[in-house]
Amino acid sequence: MGLSKRGLVIFCLGWLVSLVLTSFVAGYYYMEFQKEVQLSREYANMYNNLTQNYTGLLNNYLELVAQYESEKQNLTELVEEYQSCIMHVNICIDYKEWNATVVWYNDTIVPLGCDLLQATRTVAIVNSTYWSAHQASFVDAINGVWKAGARFWMWYRWNAEKKIWEYGNVGADRYKLTNSETVMWRYEIPGYS
Amino acid sequence: MNVRRIALLSAIASLCVGIQLAPRPPSVEFTSPICFLTGFLFGAFFGALLGALTMFINGFLSPWGFAGIIMPFQMLGMALIGFVGGVYRKSLGKNPSVGYSLNLEVISLAAFFTLVYDIITNVGYAVLFNVNIIAVLILGTWFTIVHVVSNTLLIGGAFFGLVRIVGNLLGEDIWACQRED
Repeated sequence: MGLSKRGLVIFCLGWLVSLVLTSFVAGYYYMEFQKEVQLSREYANMYNNLTQNYTGLLNNYLELVAQYESEKQNLTELVEEYQSCIMHVNICIDYKEWNATVVWYNDTIVPLGCDLLQATRTVAIVNSTYWSAHQASFVDAINGVWKAGARFWMWYRWNAEKKIWEYGNVGADRYKLTNSETVMWRYEIPGYS
Repeated sequence: MNVRRIALLSAIASLCVGIQLAPRPPSVEFTSPICFLTGFLFGAFFGALLGALTMFINGFLSPWGFAGIIMPFQMLGMALIGFVGGVYRKSLGKNPSVGYSLNLEVISLAAFFTLVYDIITNVGYAVLFNVNIIAVLILGTWFTIVHVVSNTLLIGGAFFGLVRIVGNLLGEDIWACQRED
């Protein structure tokens, strides 16, 4: 059966449709491809920026680490120097004849070679009187608790070997403390009186 | 146009609008096959009127939202499909042999005028909203393909069967003459 002129025209239209649709699909994929290319460029730029930022941060971090190590070294030296100038002592204040409370100040940091009076002043308010005849100071009050009548502030040192409190037989400013020593102030009526 | 024709137009338009408003996949529609068939059976003017009227009503009631200023382009596109149905019937003459080649012709026409409909509406959108026409056409590629393929299958698969059924229903030889009263 021969194809009529009408039929030929209509088939051409059908062929045109497939051609146009194919062009649309090609155009669609071309646009998508362009979009992807654009996105790829953006991602590549972002990646490069990120790499630069990361490298910069890494360098800064390394600098900081070096700085930290240097500071740490300085501080370690300073601490060592500092440790050689201080000592730790334990100070007890026993308000026995006043209100019977006992307060401990353990691991109190004081300068190396510090005397008992100076050490006590680091943890409490101390009132004292210097007696030139004895070339020593006498403690009148600790934290507002004053000597009264037969009650005085007496001090003791802890004998670690014998495990007893030993009576302090010199003025507090005449007694040099040693590292890790334990001392006590007691508000009491002295045993000798 | 007599009362009988107006009643027929109203009934078919109601059918088309009802199908348009029914849930369906995007770009798959039954209005253009019906308009083409109506134009084929009842004349180009009748088919064009049906297409325009259906898209006019659909423009207000569509579940995809009010068509707005695109509506005239939809009306134009659908009227063209109805019109082509009538023109095609005329070009066939009396008692054509319905066969493979005629089916292919209908398929080609369906594909072509569905594509024309999509181009008209897309160009209308691009012109009204001042967007690049080529970009609009390309971005709507997949919708166009679904539309063209679905219409081609619907019209190619059912057209001459429906023509025979309608002829039997009307009790007339549908090939005898085209009803342009």
